[in-house]
Amino acid sequence: MSGTRPLVEISMGIEAFASEWLHCDRISSYLARMVSHNRTDSLLYANLMSSALNELLETAFAHHGPEGDFSCRVSRAGDADVIELDLPCDAAALSFYSEAARRLSQPDLAETYHAALFSPGRADPHLGLLEVAVDYRARISIQPEQGNRLKLAAEMALEGAAA
Amino acid sequence: MSPDRGYQASFNENNQEFVIAGKLRPRSEDEIRPLAQSLGEALGQVKGTFYLNVKRLARLNNVAFRVIAGLVSQVCGGRPDLRVEVVTSSVMGWSTRKFLPLARLLPNVSVNEYDKDFYPGQSYLEEGGFIPILRAQTKLTWQHEKHLLPRHGLRPGMAMADVCCGIGDFAVLVQKELKPASILALDHSRSSLDYARKVAADFGVSGIEYVYGDASEMVLEDNQFDFVTCRHSLQVFDRPELILRELYRICKPGGRVYITNEKNSHCLGEPRAESIQWTYNEVARLWADYKMDIELGPKSRRYLIDAGFEDIRVDSFMVTNLDGDPQSFADIIQSWENVYAGEMARDRGDSPEFIARFRQGFQDHIYAALHPKGYAGWPIWAASGRKPS
Repeated sequence: MSGTRPLVEISMGIEAFASEWLHCDRISSYLARMVSHNRTDSLLYANLMSSALNELLETAFAHHGPEGDFSCRVSRAGDADVIELDLPCDAAALSFYSEAARRLSQPDLAETYHAALFSPGRADPHLGLLEVAVDYRARISIQPEQGNRLKLAAEMALEGAAA
Repeated sequence: MSPDRGYQASFNENNQEFVIAGKLRPRSEDEIRPLAQSLGEALGQVKGTFYLNVKRLARLNNVAFRVIAGLVSQVCGGRPDLRVEVVTSSVMGWSTRKFLPLARLLPNVSVNEYDKDFYPGQSYLEEGGFIPILRAQTKLTWQHEKHLLPRHGLRPGMAMADVCCGIGDFAVLVQKELKPASILALDHSRSSLDYARKVAADFGVSGIEYVYGDASEMVLEDNQFDFVTCRHSLQVFDRPELILRELYRICKPGGRVYITNEKNSHCLGEPRAESIQWTYNEVARLWADYKMDIELGPKSRRYLIDAGFEDIRVDSFMVTNLDGDPQSFADIIQSWENVYAGEMARDRGDSPEFIARFRQGFQDHIYAALHPKGYAGWPIWAASGRKPS
């Protein structure tokens, strides 16, 4: 993404990432702490960043192509941080993320999110993305890339978001 | 209790309070079935108000949220007589926002960000013109404390925390003159922290990290700091032992916790000693009415021993009108009068006659401070204890 300064990136094979659920929590906690140290209130920022990043990682954990590299990168653009997930993508995953992009572009996103949050039965698979878009006011973009890959980016200005 | 899973859950029947703390990010509902079962049972047996305390729940994913929300919805839907109060903390940042939709969905659910209630005097201290008091106080107490701090164990290169750092001027003085490796300065007032960051930036001081936090439940790991300070703050809390427990927790084994507190009824002055004495006795009663113990200073030793510290060291010193510019001392007293005999006495419902006499004692203290042959004093107790190795 232009105009951003890379801060930190974690890369691994998607099979390794998806082999252990705890990776979502560990990566989100670690990266959040790393990128928050020079924010005004580092602990508060890390709390918010970890929560948002974990939802994105849990989404990627559940929806991705079968093989290839997976990376999670955080870049900074002034007050905003940009999380980019780069992952392999097969037809099923592409369909999932296309539908997510469609829903995220709809009006009344908060209403959609709250309906998904309390929906009976199985959880809405887009719930995490909806939460990040609504509660963290993230600008989410989903772009298919060449070679059966997909880039999911979320730009968030979390400084002062808890006040 | 399930500490190995990253979360702890417990139910206190007497308080009707279910506490969930730690980290709750399961992959599936099955992973937190024991928690769901305990919560369901607790909800099923209470009457009146049920408290769901998540103020120390640091992480929560949607899988877990839906389990909790589902149980609460299910029980509340069938029992309109039951009230559920979700207790969150502003320190976490995300939790109030996360649970508020549940309160919008269910009329008998409410979300209460608890922090404000824990600090009964905070609004006075933040908004009652206290910044000038704090600045002048630190300037005068520093003359004494810069000599005491090394005696209480502060050394260059240490990792230090200043809990309840207020406007941060003490941390700046420590960083400049006593050179710890780093200072984490924590306070529960965003306006004070904003001011603190500005002071540090204006003076070009680095190495201090200012963070928002609740001193009674800090989101800091155990055993992190060589030296932990908490000045003039235990006396502001109605349950100082909770703060001390946290100071103990974040201190490294072998490290020391340093506290300062006052005994306001021992403020003194000559001439007009009697009027001064009367007013400061009343100050102690006023603070007690607001559940704050401004007489805590000499009790420091007991508090530290009860909290588990060893090698307790206690010093007392008297800040006086002879420590520097007497006008600075007089300014502090004037600030006390403005807040104590102003908003606090009014809010307590004191009569105009009482307030007039109350104010007179402060004015007499100022008179003593500025009198060419006068003497005015404000006693402070500095105490520290070592966390056992």
